[in-house]
Amino acid sequence: MKKVKVLILRTAGTNCDLETQNAFELCGASVERLHINFLVNNKNKILDYDILAFPGGFSYGDDIASGKILANEIKNKLGSQVKKFALSSRPIIGICNGFQVLVKMGLLPESELCDQKSTLSYNDSNKFECRWVYLKTEQKSSCIWTKNLPSVINLPVAHSEGKFIPKDKELLSKLNKGNQVVFRYSTKDGKEPKYPLCPNGSAENIAGICNKKGNIFGLMPHPERYIFPLQHPRRESSGSEYGWGKIIFQNAVNAVK
Amino acid sequence: MFGIEIFTKTKYKDSRGEHVLSDINSSGVSKGVKKVKYCSLYIVDGNLSLNEIRMIASCLLSDNITEGYKITKYGSKNSKSYLNNIFVSKAMIEVVYKKGVTDTVSSSVVKAVKDLGINKDIKVKTGHRYYLSGKLSKTILDTIACKLLSNTLIQEYKIKSVK
Repeated sequence: MKKVKVLILRTAGTNCDLETQNAFELCGASVERLHINFLVNNKNKILDYDILAFPGGFSYGDDIASGKILANEIKNKLGSQVKKFALSSRPIIGICNGFQVLVKMGLLPESELCDQKSTLSYNDSNKFECRWVYLKTEQKSSCIWTKNLPSVINLPVAHSEGKFIPKDKELLSKLNKGNQVVFRYSTKDGKEPKYPLCPNGSAENIAGICNKKGNIFGLMPHPERYIFPLQHPRRESSGSEYGWGKIIFQNAVNAVK
Repeated sequence: MFGIEIFTKTKYKDSRGEHVLSDINSSGVSKGVKKVKYCSLYIVDGNLSLNEIRMIASCLLSDNITEGYKITKYGSKNSKSYLNNIFVSKAMIEVVYKKGVTDTVSSSVVKAVKDLGINKDIKVKTGHRYYLSGKLSKTILDTIACKLLSNTLIQEYKIKSVK
């Protein structure tokens, strides 16, 4: 059987790359973590891989705004290769800081345009919010990463700039109608949350979105931090020996196989 | 030398400004401050054209969804305060690092400007501007600046009345 090849792009300040690698490897993929400087010097290397991951962390110290410097760097130096990768329907995931990068370089929500149409701004509390949250899974979503998830799951968040803001109401309605909203913060019962269950004040409690095709997925919560029940505060599992995060990575690996 | 001020557009929540206002109120420093607007400040020095400065402000330093920018010639006046001890309704406190203190954000901005394709030697200094409204005096503003907004060991501030 084909071994799925995953590229994890890292730079100064990336700190969730190893956990993301472990998650993909557990799903049967072969993973390489490469620094952006290496990729800038070997531009077409990206196209050797089946899945591209932008992990969490604090790229460039979150200077200027979270993900902004890395988003600009990728757009200006690797833009055409990343866009080619995205348009070839190969899976891409951006987790937390990676989501901020995807949104700020314009790969989400409209990957064809590569133009920033939304943003992830400062939490309403103006504080770093770090806790486990409930996420309502939009069952109609076209996202290939979130198949077979129940209506509510549990994942941790850790961010200061996670408030999802679309450019206008038109875009928000387009995301809803196009089934591009993947996760919303919720209560345990899937109902509308208040702070702190919604940690940031996102528009319509959005926690994760995908592109129209469903191959590019960005989310503020950290699925790589819930692979095993031991990582959960109450040692809960997804009904198997793993946590909900494992299913997300497994879906992408299975989609490529 | 240009000063680029990044502000939150009025239709979006200025959570950093609101947080400062809440700190001022809860610390008991003053009951007279009614509103605080926060802006980040980038002071850019180098042989840059106005178009290049605009590009840096729009493509790099501001978020085109929630933020706007204002470019001004950055003044050379070094005096600490421009305000007499009379009450004014609006004032600005500007906080920057003292000379010789490492400004890590500045290094990131210099790198990011090169990523934009502007290959010129530039110097960048970063800071914060707080626009306060209410019943303000130099004494109140000095207290707010010293106790809440700056670490005077490594930062300096100046206060200006604004219209």
